[in-house]
Amino acid sequence: MGSQLEDLKTAIRQALPDLDVVIAWAAGPDGLAHTPLFITSESDVDLVQWDPRCSQNLAGYLPGLRGKKVGIVAKGCDARSITELLQEKLIDREQLTVFGLHCQGALDPEKIAAMADCGRYVRSAEINGGELKIVSSKGACAISLENGLLAKCFRCTGADAQPCDQFIGEHGAPPVLKDAPATTLDRLEAMSMEERFQFWEEQMGQCIRCYACRSACPLCVCQDHCAAQSREPHWVDQTDHPREKLMFQAMHALHTAGRCTECGECERACPVGLPIMTMKQALNRQIKALFDYEAGLDSEKTPPLFQFRENEEHIKERKW
Amino acid sequence: MNIGVFVCHCGSNIAGTVDTVAVAKAALAYPEVVFATDTMYACSEPGQAGIIEAVQKYELDGVVVASCTPRMHEATFRRTVERAGLNRYMFEMANIREHVSWIGKDKDANTNKAAELVHIAVEKLRRNTELTAGEFTINKRVMVIGGGVAGIQAALDCADGGLEVVLVEREPSIGGKMSKLDKTFPTVDCSSCILGPRMVDIAQNPNITLYTLSEVESVDGFVGNFDVKVRRKAAYVDWTLCTGCGECAAKCPSKKTPDRFNEFIGKTTAINIPFPQAIPKKASINAAACLMLTKGKCGACVKACPAGAIQFKQEDEIVTEQVGAVIVATGYDLFDFTQYGEYGGGRYPDVITSMQYERLLSASGPTEGHIKRPSDGKEPKDIVFIQCVGSRDKSIGRPYCSGFCCMYTAKQTILTKDHLPESQSYVFYMDIRSPGKGYDEFIRRAMEEYGARYIRGRVSAIQPKNGRYLIKGVNTLMGDQVEIEADLVVLAVGAEAAKGAPQLAEKLRISYDTYGFYMEGHPKLKPVETNTAGIYLAGSCQGPKDIPSSVAQGGAAASKVLGLFSKDKLASDPQVSSVSLQRCIGCAKCQSVCPFGAIEMTQFRGMTKASVIATVCQGCGNCTSACPQGAIQLSHFTDNQILAEVHALCPY
Repeated sequence: MGSQLEDLKTAIRQALPDLDVVIAWAAGPDGLAHTPLFITSESDVDLVQWDPRCSQNLAGYLPGLRGKKVGIVAKGCDARSITELLQEKLIDREQLTVFGLHCQGALDPEKIAAMADCGRYVRSAEINGGELKIVSSKGACAISLENGLLAKCFRCTGADAQPCDQFIGEHGAPPVLKDAPATTLDRLEAMSMEERFQFWEEQMGQCIRCYACRSACPLCVCQDHCAAQSREPHWVDQTDHPREKLMFQAMHALHTAGRCTECGECERACPVGLPIMTMKQALNRQIKALFDYEAGLDSEKTPPLFQFRENEEHIKERKW
Repeated sequence: MNIGVFVCHCGSNIAGTVDTVAVAKAALAYPEVVFATDTMYACSEPGQAGIIEAVQKYELDGVVVASCTPRMHEATFRRTVERAGLNRYMFEMANIREHVSWIGKDKDANTNKAAELVHIAVEKLRRNTELTAGEFTINKRVMVIGGGVAGIQAALDCADGGLEVVLVEREPSIGGKMSKLDKTFPTVDCSSCILGPRMVDIAQNPNITLYTLSEVESVDGFVGNFDVKVRRKAAYVDWTLCTGCGECAAKCPSKKTPDRFNEFIGKTTAINIPFPQAIPKKASINAAACLMLTKGKCGACVKACPAGAIQFKQEDEIVTEQVGAVIVATGYDLFDFTQYGEYGGGRYPDVITSMQYERLLSASGPTEGHIKRPSDGKEPKDIVFIQCVGSRDKSIGRPYCSGFCCMYTAKQTILTKDHLPESQSYVFYMDIRSPGKGYDEFIRRAMEEYGARYIRGRVSAIQPKNGRYLIKGVNTLMGDQVEIEADLVVLAVGAEAAKGAPQLAEKLRISYDTYGFYMEGHPKLKPVETNTAGIYLAGSCQGPKDIPSSVAQGGAAASKVLGLFSKDKLASDPQVSSVSLQRCIGCAKCQSVCPFGAIEMTQFRGMTKASVIATVCQGCGNCTSACPQGAIQLSHFTDNQILAEVHALCPY
């Protein structure tokens, strides 16, 4: 992995003169997760990090940088967001340079913190072999990387970034993982309608409407024009009630239906840990069943809800 | 805002199961409602006068009428409020008839629901704004799709009215189904003798441009300004040079080509003129049968053609025609009887369709008007006609009556007797449907003067027997089994929607029923209009029709077009989308879902923004659903108006 990091730095150094900015990862404050790094000068390149702690999807910064020549480092799943943004013409391919990587899984810092029982502030953390060695006020411990992976890694659709301009390292298959943890969606589907409603009422009761989920979402490109904060049209009011919060989450889910690549940024950003990606997963299942489509996998396809067709292949309205 | 509410009784239609007085009383409690009353017939002259009077007396700013569906009377009441001095869009309708009184019997529940629907209308009206229609110019040309008798009539009437007409026909000649018929009921006059002159009129009328062997490829635009792309399929003959002499067909060696015009009874050549009266009288090549086009060698027609018109390299050509209205007269097709096992499923050569029989009867047909069995060319003696083949049969999804089969079967028995005086016709029928002028008398004549034996009952099997056929059936009047030996069986196949009718409907954006027949605007009051402005229907594409009805509809559709074109400008509907520049982020999602191409992306101070072409927008609202941040709004159906309705219905 060390040489892959060096190769990545070399590639960024070489490309940097022709680019306005390169987005990569650098060491974060707590050692459990790396943070975004915006490289504008060659000295920044030394800060670049690449290991399973590069969990954050950096594609969300791209629409805001439209008009600039941008380089971006991407894992396989991050590239799905890039594909989706390109499909929707929200970014320009010719302005973009993708440094693609082969990913062996990314860590979930919250999960690791819970497993190590150390909180998010650790004294030191380093990856050695297949383990993350952590030293915190509670002492030292080692967590197997496989146990600390993000839930999405168990559903990996491709570890190699695609689209890609410069691929760093070797191409390869996704890591072979067993025992995928049960998702919230699986649990919800076993519940009755009343139980589901109660579940969401409880969850939404905790939402503080900070809109971090929206700001982190790489596909929420309306941002300051979000319908949730508009009076004209006035979809959501300011009442502090699960009803309005659920309304906002429902809007977010519907607006990303058939677009969401399940990158998990909404849940990663949520300060109260709500399982809000579940709604998007549920809609994606419907999209898959109705249109046989998964977002961000094929840049040639048009997302099904962004086209008008007289007839849908998989929806049998008429027999002829 | 002062709102007035009028709750209509519609005689007993609404008042029978809705307490209209209570609904009016409940309405008074809704915000800004200053006047509410019940009224016997809101749409009647005194009903409308009452609305105008109330607007003036109570200084109303908007009116809610709770009555029938807006499709029935929204236009009526909009004119009413306009006469009262209000903007026509300061009006809302609550449908308490189709949505309430006609569908429920519980008066309390109905009254409650009616009051809630009025509440919704009031909340919507409170957020309505005055809208004004614009004007746009129209192109006074008309396209007629389909050159059967209905399309011919429509084209001639439009052309006589001074309009430029483009007539598009899929086959190489116009004439449609009627040109294949020998005689027509109930007068037994020669079909091509009465149709032929009309076809010649089409060819000679300077106002008519005729495209045969052509199909509509796409339709863009809107009433008054359609752009229609027409695919002119390759005939492999330069029609500007072809004189219709027929030398090419005489020399063509590919003489075993299936003959479409003759319903595949008999054979024709790969290059041919479909029938002597064809308009245009031009040869065309059947590419699948032509030796030159399939195997690359032959060229006999090139040598034969004195005009040098053969062009094997000819390709399809797309022409764009700009028209202001379209008349659809695409006709029907015949039911494929082979799915009925009891009639042999197409295995017996002497079990033929009624249209094939017409070609046998016709002097210009493959047997030159002599009735001969397809199998051995012998004259038949006993002929069995079976009616309702593919009509009135739920089991094959054709529950409807095709309407004309009873009549043409009777005609065919009469013609049979004329051709073969020694013959005997038998007709198996379910019921006789002969409601036209002179029609029942005609059936009686077939039975009484021409001796056709009518047997009320269905046929269960047709079996070959010693070179003839044994027809087993039931006589339901006598209550016993019948077995008849016959030489020829003629199946009165029913009508079904023309092949490709639904696909054409999608291009034209008109609706069609379960069977593929096009939907008229109103089954009684708008028989030739569609719900798409500027598109009209004529003939059997709307449902099976005989010749007199098709001709009448062709004329009716032409008169609608002439009426539409009597104005130089049309009013544009102000219920269209518009973009809020501040909110638009230029993501173009609205553009990708617009079925009408009404949205273009423009540059505004260096930023990409969506922009609606108001005259192209049809107000469908797809864009407003696709826009994530609500930047694009449909006038009269804004998010806030709809949300207000939802909140009225689902208070919390």
